[in-house]
Amino acid sequence: MEAQKVDMFIMSNNKFFESHHIPQIRELLLKADDSKWALVQTLQFQDPTTILIVSLLAGGFGVDRFMIGDTGLGVGKLLTCGGFGVWAIVDWFIIMGATKDKNINKLQQVLY
Amino acid sequence: MNSTTAFVHKEYEAEKASNSYLMSLIAIMVGLPFPIINLLATFIFYMAHSKKSYFIRWHCTQALLSQLILFFVNSIGFWWTINIIYLNAEVSSAYLIYLACLVLLNLIEFIATIYAAIETRKGKHVKWIGLGRIVDAIVTK
Repeated sequence: MEAQKVDMFIMSNNKFFESHHIPQIRELLLKADDSKWALVQTLQFQDPTTILIVSLLAGGFGVDRFMIGDTGLGVGKLLTCGGFGVWAIVDWFIIMGATKDKNINKLQQVLY
Repeated sequence: MNSTTAFVHKEYEAEKASNSYLMSLIAIMVGLPFPIINLLATFIFYMAHSKKSYFIRWHCTQALLSQLILFFVNSIGFWWTINIIYLNAEVSSAYLIYLACLVLLNLIEFIATIYAAIETRKGKHVKWIGLGRIVDAIVTK
């Protein structure tokens, strides 16, 4: 892919990824074929801040986990009322990182 | 407590390592009467970061071990108090001394956790006296 396109993508989407993943994403996109560009553009990433707010408000029902695609963990959290409150608290600190990990996995699935 | 910058680590690692202490502080506030709540919270956090870098794992382990020590001490105090309230056991001087030591230990741990959270966020490698060596032995690079 062209460097200009890649830089544009990174500028507009950097908040969806961990800062230390950015160089790796840049490398991946530069190596990728031009035909992947349309696919990459259509990808919908989850905003970590939004997920954190959801986790703070409805974490006890597992909504945050459902939103990032962890259905199994979401059901577990829902049935245990957020792990009796403990899991819900721990997720306040984990969920942003987990969301960013999901986003990079989504990108990697398209590129490979 | 010793603060060292023994090895190089990145910004995101400092944030996650600091979160392990911060999370245990919030768990203390939420689950104050039940000693196991803090231990469970730090254990879940530790499990979630068990495959992360050495620096993150090291501080998650230190937070977990500190809560483990507190768990045993607080559990004894908790059940002793339950025994006195519900089974009308005698309030002995040994109980009062134990309770005073328990409060003191919890206070020291609370302050040390705040200090560790602040310093780790700055990127410093904070080793607690005694506990640091045990963590060194447990966590592999």
